Amino acid sequence: MGLQVKDVVLELGDGDQKITALDHVSFGIAAGELLAVLGPSGAGKSSLLAVCGGLRHPTSGTVVIGDKELTAMHDSQLTRLRLKSIGFVFQQSNLISSLTSLDQLMLMVHLGGHRPTKADRDHAMALLRSVDMAHRANRLPDQLSGGERQRIGIARALMTKPSLLLVDEPTSMLDRVRGRQIVELLSEQCHQHQVAAVMVTHDRSMLDAADRSLHIVDGRIQEAAVSATN
Amino acid sequence: MFLALRDLAFAKGRFLLMSMIIALVAFLMTLLSGLASGLIKNNISGLMALDVTHLAFEYNDRPNYRNSMVEREMWEGWRDAEGVLAAEPLGHTLFTARSPEGLPLDDVVLWGVEPGSFLEPEVVLGEPLKGPDDGVIISALLANKHDVKLGDVIVLDRVLTKLKVIGITNEQNIGHVPVIYTPMRKWQEATYGPPGGPPPGESLPGILFDYASVIALQLTPDADIESVDIEWGTVTMDKQSAYEASLGYKEEVQTVKMIQGFMVVISALVIGAFFTIWTIQRTQEIGLVKALGGSSAYLLRDTMAQALILMLLAVGVGTFFAVWLGLSLEESGKPFMLVRDNIAGSSGLLIVAGLIGSMVSVRLITRIDPIIALGRTR
Repeated sequence: MGLQVKDVVLELGDGDQKITALDHVSFGIAAGELLAVLGPSGAGKSSLLAVCGGLRHPTSGTVVIGDKELTAMHDSQLTRLRLKSIGFVFQQSNLISSLTSLDQLMLMVHLGGHRPTKADRDHAMALLRSVDMAHRANRLPDQLSGGERQRIGIARALMTKPSLLLVDEPTSMLDRVRGRQIVELLSEQCHQHQVAAVMVTHDRSMLDAADRSLHIVDGRIQEAAVSATN
Repeated sequence: MFLALRDLAFAKGRFLLMSMIIALVAFLMTLLSGLASGLIKNNISGLMALDVTHLAFEYNDRPNYRNSMVEREMWEGWRDAEGVLAAEPLGHTLFTARSPEGLPLDDVVLWGVEPGSFLEPEVVLGEPLKGPDDGVIISALLANKHDVKLGDVIVLDRVLTKLKVIGITNEQNIGHVPVIYTPMRKWQEATYGPPGGPPPGESLPGILFDYASVIALQLTPDADIESVDIEWGTVTMDKQSAYEASLGYKEEVQTVKMIQGFMVVISALVIGAFFTIWTIQRTQEIGLVKALGGSSAYLLRDTMAQALILMLLAVGVGTFFAVWLGLSLEESGKPFMLVRDNIAGSSGLLIVAGLIGSMVSVRLITRIDPIIALGRTR
């Protein structure tokens, strides 16, 4: 199993401001499987990604990636886990403005405390080719279109060969055609690299690219909405 | 330094502007350091040139060159003490003087030294001291400023003593006043004798020649200074402390050091403010790097490396231009002196201050929550 989420509760705020962002959420996905998470704004989709990515400690419940349980880890262990085992694709692509496309990927090697080798560079170029961005390897983010930036974001997320890919609204800044291309690329990469992936989206038309989907409302998974889409 | 170098290249304009500010501070710091050294040189170059380890003053709570008067038995007593390699009387009197044409020469300090003793300066032009009536050696400052040449006769106001210039030494001043080296006996006549010297056919009483201002000492490290001071009623200072007995020296050094201190603080604040704003502007990217698995330690190392590169380059450029300007100031005879150790010290201080300033951003970096990379807090 790539990711196992069990009975996770996430409460945010204190006193009168306290809200339950995730309410006894449980699900699991296997390696090579793309799970789409749907839900209205404020339903808890991003909170789910934050908990799965070790960016938030759940109030209760467990999150296991491979054989590692996140809930027992402290911040520095979670940081290392994110680097080695989790790939993030963000809503607005979130590239570093001073880095070229290739450097966005090489950054992941530097963050691991290593000097990049030729093999690292070859791997990065191979990933750029796989997202059809090798010809833009030396471009800065502001020289790329929204779709191109998102492709670089996907390649970067795969650079450390993670076991889990967390994708946050990858199509929200793109038109329908480009959005479709990105989701299909994600699905393809996910299957090709045998990475378990959770993709948060509000766009129902993208569901057919996912292997399964679940619907979340007010922090709860709607049982009836968990379905296989392919 | 992966991110640091790329950020520097990417935000060239911003870093260039900051570098210019730091370079300007470094430029001013180096000039100030040169000015401080120049002021010190201008104030105490005469003392610095003395081949002594210590100076013994007549006992006083606040001894200085003008209120000290030592007797023959005191310097002879010092000569006989253990650990004393040499002891010589040194006379110090401030006079106003006139040029051979009768024009005022500003103040001069008349130093009385025994001809041939270790106190006699090396001449760059002319001859060394001889007998009491054979002439004096003047500081180059006096020679250059007032065009006094070998063979000219300087007249001391009030006492009307005539001094024939037989030698010129390097610039040697005390309290910013040029020194005239005169044979001890001549100094004693000018200082303690009647104006114009003794009446024709008469000589001055011998007791006049038993006094000087201070005792110049060459001591071994094991000399028992305290005991000899008690025995002969003196207060002895090492050479460095004796500088402070020069008029205005301590205050000048304090003032310059205070200005330098302010500049260090200002540069630390400016650099701290820059890196704080820079870090705030990069909050989203720092959060992103953390979300991707970058540790705070990695980001802090990167930020400090960035600050260090910026500081080294900017301080290097600023110091280079200051040294370039300083060399021409030195040549022009202004009170300015480039001292390598002082320049290195002030530059190093500036770099350290900059790094301390940039550490303000450390707290900001450690507090940035990687969840901001998701664009929302829920």
